Amino acid sequence: MVIQSTKPDKKSSNALGAFGKWLTHVGRGWQAFFQMIIEGDWATKLSVLIMGFGSLARRQIVKGLLFLGSEIAFIIFYARFGWQYVKDLGTLGVVEQSRVLDPATGIRMVVPGDNSMLILLYSVLTLATLLPLIMIWKANIRASYLAQKRAEQKIPQPSFVADARTLLDKRYHMTLMSFPLISLALFTALPILFMILIAFTNFDKMHQPPGHLFGWVGIQNITDIFAGNPFYQQTFFGVLLWTFIWAIFATATNYIFGMILALLINKEGINYKKMWRTFFVITIAVPQFVSLMLVSKLFAETGIVNQILLNLNLVKSPVPFFENPNLARVMAIVINMWVGVPYTMLMTTGILMNIPAELYESANVDGASPVRTFFSITLPYMLFVTGPYLITTFVGNINNFNVIYLLTAGGPLAQNYYRAGKTDLLVTWLYKLTVDEQNYSLASTIGILIFVIVSIVSLLAYNLTGSVKKEDQFS
Amino acid sequence: MKTCSRRLLALSLALLMLIFSASAMADTVKLKVWGSQENQELLSELVEEFKAANPETEWDISLGVVGEPEARTRYLEDPAAAADVFAFANDQLMELVNADALYEVTINLDKIIEENTAGSIESATLGEYLYGYPMTSDNGYFLYYDKSVLSEDDVKSLDALLAAANAAGKKVFMDVSNGWYIASFFLGAGGTLGLTEDGKQTCDFNNELGVAAGEAIRAFCADPAFQTGDDSVLVGGMGGSICAGVSGTWNAAAISEKLGENYAAAPLPTFTCGGEQKHMASFIGTKILGVNTQTQFPLEAMALAEFLTSEAAQLKFFETRALGPTNINAAANPAVLENIALAALSAQSEWGVSQKLVLGGYWSPAEAFGLEMESKSTGDMQAMLDTMVAQITQ
Repeated sequence: MVIQSTKPDKKSSNALGAFGKWLTHVGRGWQAFFQMIIEGDWATKLSVLIMGFGSLARRQIVKGLLFLGSEIAFIIFYARFGWQYVKDLGTLGVVEQSRVLDPATGIRMVVPGDNSMLILLYSVLTLATLLPLIMIWKANIRASYLAQKRAEQKIPQPSFVADARTLLDKRYHMTLMSFPLISLALFTALPILFMILIAFTNFDKMHQPPGHLFGWVGIQNITDIFAGNPFYQQTFFGVLLWTFIWAIFATATNYIFGMILALLINKEGINYKKMWRTFFVITIAVPQFVSLMLVSKLFAETGIVNQILLNLNLVKSPVPFFENPNLARVMAIVINMWVGVPYTMLMTTGILMNIPAELYESANVDGASPVRTFFSITLPYMLFVTGPYLITTFVGNINNFNVIYLLTAGGPLAQNYYRAGKTDLLVTWLYKLTVDEQNYSLASTIGILIFVIVSIVSLLAYNLTGSVKKEDQFS
Repeated sequence: MKTCSRRLLALSLALLMLIFSASAMADTVKLKVWGSQENQELLSELVEEFKAANPETEWDISLGVVGEPEARTRYLEDPAAAADVFAFANDQLMELVNADALYEVTINLDKIIEENTAGSIESATLGEYLYGYPMTSDNGYFLYYDKSVLSEDDVKSLDALLAAANAAGKKVFMDVSNGWYIASFFLGAGGTLGLTEDGKQTCDFNNELGVAAGEAIRAFCADPAFQTGDDSVLVGGMGGSICAGVSGTWNAAAISEKLGENYAAAPLPTFTCGGEQKHMASFIGTKILGVNTQTQFPLEAMALAEFLTSEAAQLKFFETRALGPTNINAAANPAVLENIALAALSAQSEWGVSQKLVLGGYWSPAEAFGLEMESKSTGDMQAMLDTMVAQITQ
């Protein structure tokens, strides 16, 4: 099997250079743009203030009106909607919700105050509209300048229909890409930006809109985690360490045992290969969360396993499978194997069959032992082919919410952890902080840290993988 | 011609009805009520009664399943989407008021204060305002025991209880890894939970008394007769391997069914704390019906809440679910007075501590400490309690 991939930038040291190049490129673009304004006639210059003026002056009526209309729409949007939120962005609101006795009904009615969350949310939305505004503004000046040039060279101005038609021809990429880009901005980029901003506020249980306001606290949440708050600190580093131990073991055990299982079934002389494979695939057919919840009941202190052990007099008191921190961690890794091994088996079966048989034949002729063959031929080949897969699995395991939350729910709780247990991963801790504690600011900060960790790990691992470094060869 | 006019008449009548119903739709009072799963059936019955009692308004009342313990969390997730009228345990009062979640009771205030027990009114009051309608007063725990194994004297002290249980080869159940139950020892020893002026939790469970209580918990957990677990363990084991257990009224029916004639309940026993006998305390709380400040129809919501907590409604809650009433008349009902579990609860109330001043930050650290105890930790008690208190008060 050959991994088909386009050549990426090979050396990461090039990244800085590429960024510099990009910056120069953007700078040149803006320079050329301002050149247009300087070289433009009065109509183009006036377009800086009144959008579409240049186009209207050259009798490109529809185009000009569209530019003008969008300017008016933006002004109305900012005046009627955007400004009331953006003006409070610096403070996130100052008037708290209060009560006043309503003499007509005799009840203390709620007088709504500022809502910090809505201020932040709609401010982000409003400020984000500046981007399309600038793009349309630039397009307006460019259109005016080009029209001016055409007029100077006595070339007739293209009609609006002709302009629009280029969207299906010369500028077809714009037509195709606009919808995915807009939805990406609306449904991914903006919410993420909003969440990132929350990390710099004190949005928690004590500052809960609409009853209360929250405000900016700068980087206090980050300094709290690293130094300011001993409980946050212990929890973060404790949980981080376990997250890595978990991710390494969960990935390695599934990978190795899955491969060994596949090898066993593939081995010559094993009968009913298809049946064995089917047995293991059946575990995939059972939804993962069902198996996990079932197993967590099975091994509970009063669960079936403990009852059987007690009845057989093998143990005197129930085995604390999920109550003892170390045992709970081992259980999580072992049970995860049960859930994950069949997937690896299925995937590796195909790859194993693709290893050139002559490699094994020559190894056989040289008198290599099966173990030696495995470590010298099978494993290197597999690692080469499945390197990128291993990275995605590893990253997936860092954020493996399902297995941990459904199996142990992060437990057992630890005394010196802040609202977290000994098997909590960063991502399950984050979940508890949001859902149980409403500590959104801390959760958001942890979210950012998870992102940083995961991206560093993936970039490093990806660049060190054999299949990236020597993609065209396998030796 | 005649049929034609008749058709016209029918059509115009139908149109008229449509218009009427449409105009009625516009005035519909739409309310959502949150209650626990077990209360759904009764709540819907009471809501129907309420609708029948107020026929002049078009009601659209829906029920949602949110148990009293989760009300605060679910409310804070999205106050605007939360129910207009919701039941909550009174330990959540502080945080709900902090979030400005509850309408103060201002209509029929004197009548409500007069009709309910002073303790239940107190449990729903913060500062000068009453923040909800007391609903049940049974949010507490006491001791269930098996009369065939234990005598009345055995359940007077924890030491005697454990000795008798060990002699019979049976277990004593208490969910120590739960902040609600474990507080029994600390509060019994004389510890306190309170609030600072700016609304933060205070806790002195790490003083000398607290350490003595902690050692008592450690000794209890180390006893061979000790058994922990959740409600299902208690109900399953009662009458079998378990001879006594600490729990509340919600298990009364199940336990009385398992024990039959041997069913008995008593206040919690005393425990040995630093060489002295101290009575185990308990959290005592009420369930309260609150009106959401985000509601579109505050007056109607208040009327509904008042109806759902009236004497008649509380008696129904007692009859179907054996929930203890807060209404004075309902509590004086002979059937209520005869209830074994409620009698034990009211006897325990002498050592009851209001849960009103306990914030949400208390539970996880207390549970973590309880887990340490259950796993027979040999760590330094003072250090463990210092950590717990630091976590609770931060």
